[in-house]
Amino acid sequence: MSAANTHDEPAPESGIDQAAEAPDASIAAVVGAQAMELVGMGLGIASVFVRTLYYCLRGRPDFGAVVRQMFEIGNRSVVFLTVVMGFIGMILVLQGGLQVKRILPEFSMVGASYLELLVRDLAATISALMLATRVGAGIAAEIGSMVVTEQVDALRMCAADPIDYLIKPRFLASLVMTICLVIWAAGVAMLTGMLTAYIMFDVNPRTFFNLHLVDTGDLVVGLAKCLAYGAAIPVVAGHSGLTTHGGSEGVGWATTRAVVNASLAVIVLDLILSALGYVLLGP
Amino acid sequence: MGLLEEIGGGFLGAAATVGGMGLLGYQILRRLVTFRIDRAETLRNLYRMGVKSIPIVIVTALFTGAIMVIQAAPLVVRLGAQGLLGWGAGFGILREIAPLLTALMINGRVGANNTAELGTMVVTEQIDALRVLAIDPIAFLIAPRFVAIVTTLFLSTIFADTLALLGAAYGGFGLLGVEPKTFYNGLTSGLLGLSDVTSGLVKSIVFGVVMALSSCQYGLGVKGGAPGVGRAVNATVVASAAGIFILDYFVSFTLD
Repeated sequence: MSAANTHDEPAPESGIDQAAEAPDASIAAVVGAQAMELVGMGLGIASVFVRTLYYCLRGRPDFGAVVRQMFEIGNRSVVFLTVVMGFIGMILVLQGGLQVKRILPEFSMVGASYLELLVRDLAATISALMLATRVGAGIAAEIGSMVVTEQVDALRMCAADPIDYLIKPRFLASLVMTICLVIWAAGVAMLTGMLTAYIMFDVNPRTFFNLHLVDTGDLVVGLAKCLAYGAAIPVVAGHSGLTTHGGSEGVGWATTRAVVNASLAVIVLDLILSALGYVLLGP
Repeated sequence: MGLLEEIGGGFLGAAATVGGMGLLGYQILRRLVTFRIDRAETLRNLYRMGVKSIPIVIVTALFTGAIMVIQAAPLVVRLGAQGLLGWGAGFGILREIAPLLTALMINGRVGANNTAELGTMVVTEQIDALRVLAIDPIAFLIAPRFVAIVTTLFLSTIFADTLALLGAAYGGFGLLGVEPKTFYNGLTSGLLGLSDVTSGLVKSIVFGVVMALSSCQYGLGVKGGAPGVGRAVNATVVASAAGIFILDYFVSFTLD
């Protein structure tokens, strides 16, 4: 998607003189305005989500677009995720091992606890934070520049809903690819963790790779998180992209908003799903 | 042959970026040592980047504290040691989680924004205008932003440490019925020391430097008009996130 024909607009103001907003007198007004904005944004995101689901059921099937987005979202993130998760695995085992050294005499439980933590929470959440950064920014920038160059209005003129055309393929692709990427990321983190344990603490890989603490509940919670994050990231980022305003500079703002909101969505969903899993399925 | 070319090209690109960041860092350092840095601009950036990020830091920290407790809960239940909850959650928060998540959030908010702003200035030739007016762009634009980002991240991490521990204490109370007092005793029972806090803070400074350098570097290197700004924002967010995790490992490794 090239936004080739950017028409000449007066030079956008730089951020230098946007900072001087008059501070509001009463704190209640500030908090109220923030709350109103937050509620408005929540409603907007909910509306995009519901319409996306509707078009998933009733829209036109468009396999080509979904596969293209799968490549964009999935294959392009593999290297980045591999690097990040590899380092995460090394960090966690290193830090955990150093702490365990202080308290317990032996390391037989480190591997089992680490794998449980990875399956239940860390693989999905860290990957999703990374995807929120990479995929969220990409989606918002792409859709935002379409809004600025009036391509989205052109879609509406042709009686095609932008949600059906732009967000639905990304939503479906993200749902599938998030699960694949998280499984891959968990594998990478397991491997680097195992290597770290072997090199730093002389833990036999066979002792380390101990799955007896991972039960069905952990797997269910982990997969539920994958699905929730995979659904949340494109919807939140797409909403940020569609609400772009203010020319080419607005695209930068939209990208920023998308990354922040998608990361927050991941953290909030993580808390909700972890608490639900803990209450329903037990520790 | 194509694959080899691609790998080599990727390495060369990464090397060029890192080298550029190093040179930029050296130039900023020279301005900082001789105090050639615009004071008003620094204060304005501190307000825009620091004060305006407080709500995000608060929300992130409270939620992550509660998440940490839920993740540490099975261990506590298994060992039957409620006193260990404070230690488990506290050590995770202070050493890793608070610095990392604060850095990721600030990266999304401040780093991306900074790149977009500098990129827009490059595209609209405002940087060249500064040079024409004999104003040093590094001293006037880049060094203040660098100082502001590093300071913001450092202070936010202190803030996030406190709030995440609060979130953990009350999350543990709500979910596990562990009294906040027990949690506090677990924190201060001698298993955690000042070294845990300082290690997290050292990390936050390193992350701040990486974020500031990469966001300024990508912002100043924008080519190709408005779409180029979007591409640069995307690239800087990804590069900073990867850099943060890689350096996290090396800092952890060297500090212990």
